[in-house]
Amino acid sequence: MVETKGELKQPSLHHPSSDFSEEIANEPGGEDITKCIQCGMCTASCLVAKYTDRYRPRRLIQKILLGKREEVLNSELPWLCMTCRLCEERCQEGVSLPEIFGAVRKIAAREGKIPNVFKSTASLVLKDGWMLKDTYTDFIEDDRDDLGLDTDLNWDDDFVKKIKKKYFKEDKTR
Amino acid sequence: MREFALYLGCTTPVRLPQYEASVKAVLEKFGIELTTMKDANCCGAQYVESLSRPAFAALSGRILALAEREGLDILAICGACSGSLKTVKHELDSDRYLRSEVNDLLKDEDLEYTGNVHVKHLLQIFQEDIGYNAIEEAIVRPYKGIRLAAHYGCHVTRPYEIVQVDDPENPTIIDRIIEIAGATAVDYVGKTRCCGGPMLAVDEPVANKIGMEKIENLQNVGVQGLVTACVFCEIQLTQVQFGEGLDPKNRVPVLSLPQFLGPAIGIDMNALGTYLNKIPPDNIFASLAEAK
Repeated sequence: MVETKGELKQPSLHHPSSDFSEEIANEPGGEDITKCIQCGMCTASCLVAKYTDRYRPRRLIQKILLGKREEVLNSELPWLCMTCRLCEERCQEGVSLPEIFGAVRKIAAREGKIPNVFKSTASLVLKDGWMLKDTYTDFIEDDRDDLGLDTDLNWDDDFVKKIKKKYFKEDKTR
Repeated sequence: MREFALYLGCTTPVRLPQYEASVKAVLEKFGIELTTMKDANCCGAQYVESLSRPAFAALSGRILALAEREGLDILAICGACSGSLKTVKHELDSDRYLRSEVNDLLKDEDLEYTGNVHVKHLLQIFQEDIGYNAIEEAIVRPYKGIRLAAHYGCHVTRPYEIVQVDDPENPTIIDRIIEIAGATAVDYVGKTRCCGGPMLAVDEPVANKIGMEKIENLQNVGVQGLVTACVFCEIQLTQVQFGEGLDPKNRVPVLSLPQFLGPAIGIDMNALGTYLNKIPPDNIFASLAEAK
């Protein structure tokens, strides 16, 4: 069977499709969502799934395929992927869950649905230019000095302001 | 020999300066020249990366363009940073719309990304620029009778199509260097599994369980230490061993590849900052041959 884009959009047993899965497929990184055959190799490979029952990557992909848009976008689950890419390495169908969940996160972010830790850390980076300004104490400066390392870390905090203005003009990262 | 622009990232200079010092000391010994990048910014990994594709491309793209202006390729010593820079380079090389959007933002600083810059992770410097033969020739104080394991870091080796480092399911660079330096490289269950670091800020108990699983797998094969090549992995796999109810006697020292290799090629321990390691790696260094 020659697979064309049109055929993939048709509902069938092996390629469930929905408006939401099409929306994901149109987002960079989400292109391969409809290749998923729901075998579960991802969940079997996933260390997060091993230690928390709430996270089942296969089931999350299934929800996207079935079109449960609001449920998925309002959920913290797409943000639990560590992007370790073990599942991607093992998927026989060439589906990358970290890429798909990345696409989900970006759609959620555009609608202002961002978990607090992502919001606050991104906000810090977009203010200071880097992540650990407040953690850099005199003690650490002394350690660096003892090692013969520059104590001035020379981070630039101008460019991030431009980025914040252009891409985060709403207070989504506050 | 070769010269690189060293991109330190946010975490190494603050949380693991001994890694930075040992990278510099060891690479210098092998004739690799490093220029630490100035006026850089965070690569955007994980957090900005999750929220906006163009914002992430701009943050990492600026770092690429800064190195390009100096005419140098980039050395990144953090798994997340090397992964981000390589991913964004790949995107900017394949998406000209994204590239011109990023270059528009860089114009004010007279910066431009044209694609003439390459990004390497530390492991590639050892494998490609120094080479196993030169490492072998440089050993003056070999280790003897010590069993060590390697942890590579997910973002260092995956996705292979983009990062081009080692084998994503069966990596060998660190193991080979452990053996070349005279120690025994020990395989263990879950070698290519994640340290749990990216989960730390999101769900700490889960992150700790993931990290401790790795430590238990190491304890099960009886190793005296773990050798890493990513700042996040090293910090995470160290801190999980300080959890409540864990016997300090069972702690597995974690050290970076240059900290491990340094003493064997005759670099002074103090220059490697091993005194800053939270789990003292003294038992590992005790197995070094006497200095000639």
